[in-house]
Amino acid sequence: MRNESQADHISQQFDSEMEELKTHFLAMGGLVEKQVGDALAALLEADSELADRVSKKDAKVNEMEMTIDEECRQIVARRQPAASDLRLVMSVAKAVSDLERCGDEAVKIARQAGALAQEGIAPQGYRECRHIGNHVRKMLYDALDSFARMDTEMALQVISEESLVDEEYNGAMRQLITYMMEDSRNISRVLNILWVVRALERIGDHSRNVAEFVIYMVEGKDLRHTPVDEIRKRVSKSVAKT
Amino acid sequence: MDDTDQKRAAARDDDGIHPEPPSHAIDMEALGGERESRNIEEEDVTLEVQDLNLYYGDKQALHGVNMKIPRKRVTAYIGPSGCGKSTLLRCFNRMNDLVDICRIEGRILIDGDDLYDREVDVTEMRRRIGMVFQKPNPFPKSIYENVCYGLRIQGINKKRVLDERVEWALKGAALWDEVKDRLDDSAFGLSGGQQQRLVIARCIAVEPEVLLLDEPCSALDPISTLKVEELIYELKEQFTIIIVTHNMQQAARVSDYTAYMYMGKLIEFGATDQLFTNPKEKHTEDYITGRYG
Amino acid sequence: MRTDLKAWYQSGQPWVWLNAGAVAISMVMVVGLLMLIAARGLGHFWPHALMQAELQVRGGAPVRIFGEIADYEDVPAGQLRANGVEVPEDVSELRRYLVKVGNRDLLGSDFRWVLARDLGKQSYPPELIAVERREWGNLYGYLKEVRESGQPVATGAQAWPELLKRIERALGLHGAIHEIQKTDIGAINHRMERLRLRERGYELREEYTGERRAAIEAARAELDAEYKVLQEKLNDLYTQINRDSFVAEGQDGRTVTVSMSQVVRAFKPNDMGLFAKIGHYIAKLWEFVSDEPREANTEGGIFPAIFGTVMMVLLMSVMVTPFGVVAAVYLREYATQGFLTRTIRIAVNNLAGVPSIVYGVFGLGFFIYLLGGSIDALFFPEALPAPTFGTGGLMWASLTLALLTLPVVIVSTEEGLTRIPKAVREGSLALGATKAETLWKVILPMSSPAIMTGVILAVARAAGEVAPLMLVGVVKLAPSLPLDGNYPFLHLDQKFMHLGFHIYDVGFQSPNVEAARPLVYATALLLVLVIAVLNLSAVQIRNHLREKYKSLEN
Repeated sequence: MRNESQADHISQQFDSEMEELKTHFLAMGGLVEKQVGDALAALLEADSELADRVSKKDAKVNEMEMTIDEECRQIVARRQPAASDLRLVMSVAKAVSDLERCGDEAVKIARQAGALAQEGIAPQGYRECRHIGNHVRKMLYDALDSFARMDTEMALQVISEESLVDEEYNGAMRQLITYMMEDSRNISRVLNILWVVRALERIGDHSRNVAEFVIYMVEGKDLRHTPVDEIRKRVSKSVAKT
Repeated sequence: MDDTDQKRAAARDDDGIHPEPPSHAIDMEALGGERESRNIEEEDVTLEVQDLNLYYGDKQALHGVNMKIPRKRVTAYIGPSGCGKSTLLRCFNRMNDLVDICRIEGRILIDGDDLYDREVDVTEMRRRIGMVFQKPNPFPKSIYENVCYGLRIQGINKKRVLDERVEWALKGAALWDEVKDRLDDSAFGLSGGQQQRLVIARCIAVEPEVLLLDEPCSALDPISTLKVEELIYELKEQFTIIIVTHNMQQAARVSDYTAYMYMGKLIEFGATDQLFTNPKEKHTEDYITGRYG
Repeated sequence: MRTDLKAWYQSGQPWVWLNAGAVAISMVMVVGLLMLIAARGLGHFWPHALMQAELQVRGGAPVRIFGEIADYEDVPAGQLRANGVEVPEDVSELRRYLVKVGNRDLLGSDFRWVLARDLGKQSYPPELIAVERREWGNLYGYLKEVRESGQPVATGAQAWPELLKRIERALGLHGAIHEIQKTDIGAINHRMERLRLRERGYELREEYTGERRAAIEAARAELDAEYKVLQEKLNDLYTQINRDSFVAEGQDGRTVTVSMSQVVRAFKPNDMGLFAKIGHYIAKLWEFVSDEPREANTEGGIFPAIFGTVMMVLLMSVMVTPFGVVAAVYLREYATQGFLTRTIRIAVNNLAGVPSIVYGVFGLGFFIYLLGGSIDALFFPEALPAPTFGTGGLMWASLTLALLTLPVVIVSTEEGLTRIPKAVREGSLALGATKAETLWKVILPMSSPAIMTGVILAVARAAGEVAPLMLVGVVKLAPSLPLDGNYPFLHLDQKFMHLGFHIYDVGFQSPNVEAARPLVYATALLLVLVIAVLNLSAVQIRNHLREKYKSLEN
């Protein structure tokens, strides 16, 4: 029932503007994904050079956010989009700031990675980081993928994943506190890792937000701050209806 | 404290400490809670269209239209050219009677009475349902006489009554301040936007229940258009307004309910908020996002 | 060169030049015609020099002649020889002059052709006088003496001022006589006629009781008494005006005695300065437009004809406008558009192309004989067998012309009605007005410029029409104006004079064609002016209306 793409406007110029907006958004998503991955790699492999690169690249992410925001403003001002076009533009405008936060969190991780690398590899806590890290990377990837495919099922998946990440985060916290209690010399380094885990959890939150915007964009339903079960019910209802 | 400060203070001070809430206190409930959305089922109905079919000769122009038009709301018709929206509008005050080859099936009820009943006095009915046309069409008379026209037709000739009604109508059409010093000048001396508001004043002077506006701004510049739109917003306090427009943004701006028509059929009818952000029908979506063609 | 020509042709310039040329030729023709008419017509009123000459016709004694040279032409010698005039072999053409010699009572004719070679010893003596008379045309000659009751009172040099003084007095008396005859006696005659008709009416209805007879007799006696008083007054005036006379010597030495009552004006053309001539010119011009004709329309003014023309055109407009508008409104607004209306429209358009004389015949046959005859039989039986409306008259002429111009008004009104935007009608209907109210209050005012355009065209056509009028009421000399002070003031049944017919009559039916020719031009000029004035005022009204309803045009 829905248009899978933003094509087929009478104004081809409008088509290409919308297409460009989506491409830019996905490109930024890709960059943020890479930032998160690189930051995680820098942490796990104690690669302070890579961590440095991640910090520096954040400027590029910020720049892209501003570019995409400007594009959204231009489309609203000039085209007065309605219905699905309007929802797309609004969703992009809002999701882009979530992506930018993800980028910021990646920088935070990279910073901790740099600090940890100087002190050499500490075995404790890295396992949790890798586990949560891979999970949220998958969530971010899926959220962007669902955006690209306009796939509400996948977006729903991302939303429900978020509570798992929360659980894992709680578990990791407990584990890290245990480490600190075992050996008080570890406290400062475990605290560093705690920041990383915290950042990863935030990336998971932002991914969920992006997924919620995808659902809004496709279904026209604002499902933020709604329990997951409720979301699933309302989305699947409309999916079943079509 | 200037205006902005007051608003900021009002936003902070929602715990009742403020001795007297400022006049423009913010309704925190409305902001926080579920946004009020119009629902057609809960409205008081003025006009009801039942299974309306309309033929021009052999050609069918309207196909089984069913809808309820709510009282004291603005209902907009949108749709591509030739979709029958103006035709439908003209059914509401039987302007199609003037076309010899036009034939109508079905019913249109105003407060439960059939407009097309044999016993209906058409002129009396048209007084209840006023109409404003695409191009401003003032009569070749003075501004005053233009507004009086409908009243004089009804046989009202008392100077005092006419004066009162003219002033009331011109104020209602937000034109009084611009023309009060030259009521006896020809209406043709007014600008296009003023002429259109004069025509609206002429229409409301006879105090109709329903105002039909057939693309009222299509001949006007953007500023005049905005003035007329503002006027529509004010007039809905007193009148049921039905507007046909080619300009989707205009429909979005002024209307409470929007109906989308295509090829003589009513495709979708719903609250404007919903229709313009999340239409139910793909056809509507295609039209309002500019994919129709 | 060929390509140049081709390029020029393709640029469209030749067509522009063609159009411009056609417009220029039309303009030149119109302006030329007007100038010709103006020059020939207006020159007539200028006081020309009065020549005195010895006329020496071969083989005859020299004769003295007076006169104005009115025209000349070059005649082939052969034609003259055929008429028995001796012309030398080597001369192929001879010039001859048309001399207005006046003194018709002495010479039998006003004009005389004179060969240029026969004229000898021309002079322009200032003592020569010209006198315009009510009868017998102009008198040219030397003033001998002025007489009162047959006794000379002034001779020689004193005679001229005395003459002028006495002419002044006579003109005053003449005015008084004219006034009594036209107005007072005219009114009495009118009332007498009405009395007679009333009496006849009673007789016809066999209601003529003694009582009524007495009343009528009394009224008649009263009128008779009034008439007697007036008659006495008139007689008195006549004796006064005939008291004075003057004696003048004509060209052949004979003297004429002319009563002052016959004199219109006297002047010495050779003794006049420029200003005197201009004054004379203006006086003559004014006489022309404001006075009644004299001497079978060849002298005097043409006021009745102007009045009749304007009156007829106005009446025609008053008749044709409502008819045309009503017809157009019905055709356009009420009738179902279809085969029948299309046919009617075609018929109306074709009606505009019917020759006007056909309308004249129709007017005569239908209006005058049928309608007029019936009206007479029904309403004016007492006047029979003398017809009232059963003969040509102002009303029938106006009605005939109204019929003639009806198509123009219908077509242009319809045009105007079609041009009114649908939105305006609907705007009125949407306010609860009925169709009739919409028409009356909105549509007709808005189409009034178009209606006026129709009336303008109608006026233009009607004012210039002559042929049908000859059948339905125009005469060469009407005894009185169709509008006067006698009840019912506007006499629709009266015959009237018309400028167009006047031109025809004076130019081709006059006994004195030579004398009348300048008048034909002057009258033609006046006709053009009258039509122009009528048209301009209508155009003015239309422009005013257009200004009022100008937003329609966009």
